[in-house]
Amino acid sequence: MSAKLRAWLENVGNAALMGWAIARVIPYPRQYLASALSQAYNMGIRSLPLVLIMAFLGGAVTSQQTGAQFTGGLPLWVIGSVLAASVLTELGPLLTAIVMMARVGAAIAAELASMKVTEQIDALYAMGRDPISFLVVPRVVAGLLVFPPLVILADFTGIAAGWGVGLLAVDGLTSADIIFGMRFYFRPWSLFFSVLKGGVFGLAITFIACYVGLQGTGGAEGVGRTTTTAVVATTLALMVLDVLMAPVLKAF
Amino acid sequence: MIEFKNLKKAFGDNVVLDGVDLLVEEGETLALLGPSGTGKSVLLKHAIGLLEADEGDVVVDGISISSATAEELKGVRRRLGYVFQNAALFDSLTVAENLCLAQDDENLTRGVSGCHQEAVELLRRVNMPADVLDKMPSELSGGMRKRVGVARAIASRPRYLLWDEPTTGLDPVNADNIDALILELGRELGVTSIVVTHDLDTAFEVGDRIALLYDGRIRALGTPDEMLANTDPIVMRFVRRSSIAAA
Repeated sequence: MSAKLRAWLENVGNAALMGWAIARVIPYPRQYLASALSQAYNMGIRSLPLVLIMAFLGGAVTSQQTGAQFTGGLPLWVIGSVLAASVLTELGPLLTAIVMMARVGAAIAAELASMKVTEQIDALYAMGRDPISFLVVPRVVAGLLVFPPLVILADFTGIAAGWGVGLLAVDGLTSADIIFGMRFYFRPWSLFFSVLKGGVFGLAITFIACYVGLQGTGGAEGVGRTTTTAVVATTLALMVLDVLMAPVLKAF
Repeated sequence: MIEFKNLKKAFGDNVVLDGVDLLVEEGETLALLGPSGTGKSVLLKHAIGLLEADEGDVVVDGISISSATAEELKGVRRRLGYVFQNAALFDSLTVAENLCLAQDDENLTRGVSGCHQEAVELLRRVNMPADVLDKMPSELSGGMRKRVGVARAIASRPRYLLWDEPTTGLDPVNADNIDALILELGRELGVTSIVVTHDLDTAFEVGDRIALLYDGRIRALGTPDEMLANTDPIVMRFVRRSSIAAA
């Protein structure tokens, strides 16, 4: 077996063990809830402006491009349908995830890797404390708590931005067109799917960042390498999860 | 009692420990000497289960570290205090929070205010003022960080203290202070200590016995006087500098 394949399999096994260790702590919220709420506050409040800006820009681009491509070929109210569909099923959760990966995932990986290389993780073990319940579970739970509301706000902002910019940029488009198009498309499941996708992305970002961070080795260079690995692995995981979740939308 | 039994550890092709046998008696302070990079810290980390042996075992109070359950290992770790080379204080927590985290679970659940008195007492034991409690580790000097690291290590009232290079990176005055602290804690708390060091002065100052780790094995073991009288050329090369310094 090649060394790379062996290392990959070891990583999969270790990640599964970490997942199991997290699952065993989850039923005891007293161990992590206070820390998780503090992490969620930091993750959510501090990321909110950037999440909203990204969602605004994503919505604004969608309505303009849809207008440019469909004008003359399809009725204008289709812009409303495409805007709602794109933002709810893709742009809202994915843009939120990208912001959170860059702001939160990278920070978690760097922080934990730094703790690892300065023996702070060893110190926790040495004191008989479990780094999983002390460091990992609060961050993963915080990711799960904070993503759904962030995605809902991103969805709302993206649609509002697409609506407003569409009225300004697409000739002949009216609010009535947008409303008709969105009502034509919208099903409650779409919003639920958006939030569900956000939750899955939130879990993936914090889990991967914690796992990769705890594998950190070396000095300052090692911390940098670990952070890069976490961002690359998360980007790939987000896209794979995005593809895997597409059939879920169709199933309902 | 801590017993290392035929302990072997390699990192890839690099064999670090090649069959270490060592018995640390109750109440003694054993100084573990050796050149840099010979695996002294690696040996120490096996005693607390931070590293897994390739072969052999470490037995602490009759509990085999390699086959201990998670609960047993946690129990062993609560009986051992580990003083890290660079203190390894949690840099996002204040001194008080660092000390509270190391105390018993009952104290931890009472929060920082609940364990404040204990934290002050721990600082007093390492000759530090209580006004550093609210400081962050980055605001402390190297010597002070080491002392807080010691205070944290003794917070769970351990029976054993494992010191990883306690005087490395310190100026002579601070190094002497740490040596005095090792002796003082040994007397006051009656703990058994293993002091890993390449500082000969520290080894001869604090060690009831001294062991020399060389080429992955214990090359020599004895009291400071026995080590000085040892005629093994490798041992002589090591202790000569210390005897010159003592003279």
